[in-house]
Amino acid sequence: MRIPIGIDRRAFLALLAAGGAMSTEVRAAPRKGGILRVAAPTNPTTLDPATGSGGSDHVFLYTMFDTLVAFDYATLEPRPGLALSWSYADPLTLVLTLRPGVVFHDGTPCDAEAVKFNLDRNREDPRSNVKPDLATVTSVEVSGPLQVTMKLNQPDTALPLILSDRAGMMSSPTAVKALGKDHDRKPVGAGPWKLVSWEDNEKITVTRHEKYWDPERPYLDGIELTIIQEVNTGLRSVIAGQNDFVYFLSPQQKAVIDRAKNLISVAGPTLYCVQLYINFGRKPMDDVRVRQALNFAIDREEFNKATMAGLSEPATLSLPKSHWAYDPEMAKAYPYDPDKARKLLAEAGYPNGLDLNIAVYSDQRSLQRLEVVIEQLRKVGIRATSFAGTIPQQTNAFFVEKKGDVYLSAWTGRPDPSLTYQLMFGGGSFYNASRIEAVPEIGPALLETRRSEDLSSRKKAFAKLQKIVTENALVAPLVFQFEMDAHTQKVKGYQPNLLGKCKFEFVWLEA
Amino acid sequence: MMRALLSWMRGNPAAGLSLVFLTALFTLALMAPVIAPYSPTAQDANNTLSDPSLAHLLGTDDLGRDELSRLIHGAPATLYASVLAVTVASILGIPVGLLAGFLGGWVDDAISRVIDTLLSFPAIVLAIGVTGALGIGLTNGMIAVGIVFSPQLARLVRAQTLVVKQELYVDAARCFGASVWRIIPRHIMPNAIQPVIVQVTLLLAVALLAEASLSFLGLGVQPPQPSWGAMLARAYNYMEIAPGQMYPPGIAILLTALAFNTLGEALREALDPTSRRRNMPSMTGIK
Amino acid sequence: MNNKGQMIGRRLLQIAPVIVLATFVVFGLLQLVPGDIAVTLAGENATDARIVQIRQTYGLDQPFLVQYGHWLWNAAHLDLSRSYLSNEPVLDQILHRFPTTLLIVAVALLISLIIGVPLGIVAATRPGSRLDTVVTSFASLGVALPNFWLAMILVATFALTWNIFPATGAVAFGKDPAKALLHAALPAFALAAGGIAEVARQLRSALIEILSSQYVRTLHAKGLSPTAILWKHGLKNVSVTLLTVVGLLINRLLGATVVVEAVFAIPGMGSLIVHAAIHKDFPVVQGVVLAMVVVVICMNLLIDMLYAILDPRVGRT
Repeated sequence: MRIPIGIDRRAFLALLAAGGAMSTEVRAAPRKGGILRVAAPTNPTTLDPATGSGGSDHVFLYTMFDTLVAFDYATLEPRPGLALSWSYADPLTLVLTLRPGVVFHDGTPCDAEAVKFNLDRNREDPRSNVKPDLATVTSVEVSGPLQVTMKLNQPDTALPLILSDRAGMMSSPTAVKALGKDHDRKPVGAGPWKLVSWEDNEKITVTRHEKYWDPERPYLDGIELTIIQEVNTGLRSVIAGQNDFVYFLSPQQKAVIDRAKNLISVAGPTLYCVQLYINFGRKPMDDVRVRQALNFAIDREEFNKATMAGLSEPATLSLPKSHWAYDPEMAKAYPYDPDKARKLLAEAGYPNGLDLNIAVYSDQRSLQRLEVVIEQLRKVGIRATSFAGTIPQQTNAFFVEKKGDVYLSAWTGRPDPSLTYQLMFGGGSFYNASRIEAVPEIGPALLETRRSEDLSSRKKAFAKLQKIVTENALVAPLVFQFEMDAHTQKVKGYQPNLLGKCKFEFVWLEA
Repeated sequence: MMRALLSWMRGNPAAGLSLVFLTALFTLALMAPVIAPYSPTAQDANNTLSDPSLAHLLGTDDLGRDELSRLIHGAPATLYASVLAVTVASILGIPVGLLAGFLGGWVDDAISRVIDTLLSFPAIVLAIGVTGALGIGLTNGMIAVGIVFSPQLARLVRAQTLVVKQELYVDAARCFGASVWRIIPRHIMPNAIQPVIVQVTLLLAVALLAEASLSFLGLGVQPPQPSWGAMLARAYNYMEIAPGQMYPPGIAILLTALAFNTLGEALREALDPTSRRRNMPSMTGIK
Repeated sequence: MNNKGQMIGRRLLQIAPVIVLATFVVFGLLQLVPGDIAVTLAGENATDARIVQIRQTYGLDQPFLVQYGHWLWNAAHLDLSRSYLSNEPVLDQILHRFPTTLLIVAVALLISLIIGVPLGIVAATRPGSRLDTVVTSFASLGVALPNFWLAMILVATFALTWNIFPATGAVAFGKDPAKALLHAALPAFALAAGGIAEVARQLRSALIEILSSQYVRTLHAKGLSPTAILWKHGLKNVSVTLLTVVGLLINRLLGATVVVEAVFAIPGMGSLIVHAAIHKDFPVVQGVVLAMVVVVICMNLLIDMLYAILDPRVGRT
């Protein structure tokens, strides 16, 4: 499913000349050196993986932090990271074997002691934001210089992939102890680059970690991430030559990238799901018929066309087609059917329509999505009003202060799908504004997805869970946004990943 | 009355044109649903960012909505914002200016200090701060703009009041023991009102530009309600592929601000012939 | 001279209460916030303990006047508190960004004067002529022009189509002056449109008034050439008008740059306050507003002093 739209033509011809030997060696070998200049759309919340909260922080974090478990870019299956291997000694015991010779930017070795320190900090520190990710872990033991044993309170096969996210990013214990809260802004990890400076809302600069565990990498001497909030302006900066790479563009910008002949566009499916969160804990959204009406009222093809230039994947489920746990059974549950929506609304006691208040982000792209949604809802008699704000404000307003009936936002995806469902639909979960279990079956169905290590039995469990979510219309997914990035000709080796959060670990610059 | 107006307009065609333009605009704003050829929110995903055509005289926007209809439906929000800000400025500024000028002494000193202070604030900056505090929305922002404008009116009214206060008939009224609350509305207000009308007209233009700025920054009007500033913000996103999008709303803002200004200047000349040469700064903190 | 000294001293005394009042207005902004900022600041997934902790850290549990006094005391010691978002000292952020904004404002002011003054003079010397009509019409347009719109047109034309100027960003003047000016050029031009118009308008009317005065007519009758009259008497007398306009322009340009910076994605004071306001980062909002007001007040003071030097009458009153 990788779609490198701008195939390097010369490299392609070289491939043909080499008799179709599809190996990367045929392309010019990665060159070491150079500074990659990136236009980034957001300022990170913090640069400490444990205390930050933004889903868009990862692009910055990945440059400075390696994770215990890595993932395959295309399938999101777990791969060795700082941990070379892992295994379940029994369903309640997970053993990690660490990579030897890894050191943090400050020279501290990244050994079993350091990993235990990090995992304990993630589980217990009052400022940790990843506690829920590790809720099933009851203790972490050093069982060898490079071996860590985790004890669990229930079977949890989601853990390896959880350790490919924030919870698995290792910070230097020395730095964390010495800096305390300041580690938020002066992070020390074991990733390919180390922080030089962070000028708030302006620029983050990282430079090569000379003692990185892979002697071949990183290729880039450093990365300068300039923060430009409007992605259009960010793209403009690459077109005009002030930057080399811009990410998190809208698929709509493909037309602009194509017009600029010096740019290469990169697109790929992601887990990033634009959706309407629903507060199903109170009127009027506590009525399943109203929630179903909402789902029938949305013309997803039209939404994709209007807001994504037709370049994304219309979504009815919480996982995209290319994901290993995707099951097509419920995918056709909510075709666009305004008549059905009106009928359901009438049955629910709203024959004259319904007033809804929608929370939304204040940037232009979100407002455009909002305008499409409002217009589609208007056609079935739902009169929508809106209130806008920043992502943290609106998230707080909807999930904490319980303002608004519906939240036009997105789910950025999690490496393991069980978290996606747990966090949005589990009783008491933050991203479940009602804090209740909409139906009693949901709790056991959630547990079931984390019981087996075998992917096919996990897939069955996810299908069952998705069916409950869809039948009760607990959310209204709209589209899975395709990642859209653009870079200049001299940027090589970039691949998008299904998580949709850019990694520059294999990127190099042509001389 | 009508004849006087017509002859004045003939003598000052620019002002006449402005008056006609503004009258038309207010009518348009009031009757937007009747006049606009399409609904301002009706979308067509197959006809986005199109050039002007017979079906869509100003083309369509990013969601295939008719630009002309959005422009027409954007007029009420824009005019409402301007009028709101200037009303707030008048309600605050005029009484304060009257009191300062009439009472004099320490009251005047104190009020003058406050006026000086507020005049030092770049209006849009304070408006952004207030909007940040109260939350995104047109009304909050424009009230803030109104507050920032109020010292301009206060200062003007104070100066006028000082002049009128010296007049004989006011002194006479005072000698006869008329109270402040009687003298101000009876004698001072009517004489101070003319320059205020001029200033208010000029402020409408500045408020209009302030509204456009706030909406452009995403701090003003919220969808689906269209506004000219918000239309420009959207056009900004399509500058590479559809640069034409930024012209209709921009020109609408420019013409309306120009009309308010021209009318204000003309009123100044008409109401106070000596001002033609003095032409004191009509400047304010915003643009 | 003594009089002038006194006058300057008096002005200095007068601005003290103005600045204190300004700080009060600035700090009062915080009081407008409905609800509890601490809850917003705590972010997603926050525990009650964390909220209480935040409230204490930022002193939000104190009464308003205590908070104000504390803030004022610190501000007097050049400590503008720390950003809620980044925890960086606000003063550092402002010192870091103000030069970028000031460069744009300074260039815009310069352009306004360089173009506006000759236009004003030309129009004033031939009032009623076609040239005068053109200048005054352009001036009217310039005043009504939304400068962020002009900025968009400039970007579309000079940056995106012709690639003459950079479309985004800024460079520090100290780092590379030529590049810094190149980046500042388009935003400054966008800002200067209104400035040019205002300078031309004000200068024109002031000059016309002087040139039509009894005194100048007498000079004219004595046989002095119009050029000599203009240079010797006209321009000297309008310098006061020019100063007034410059004072007002500084206030206006500082405000307008906020919006124009957004068009160019310039990391200046504008983007700082817009971002802070949207994110309810009040120490930053307060800091930026205060910094701008202080600059305006100081410039006004400077201009008052220049008045005193230029205009002999000022000292006496």
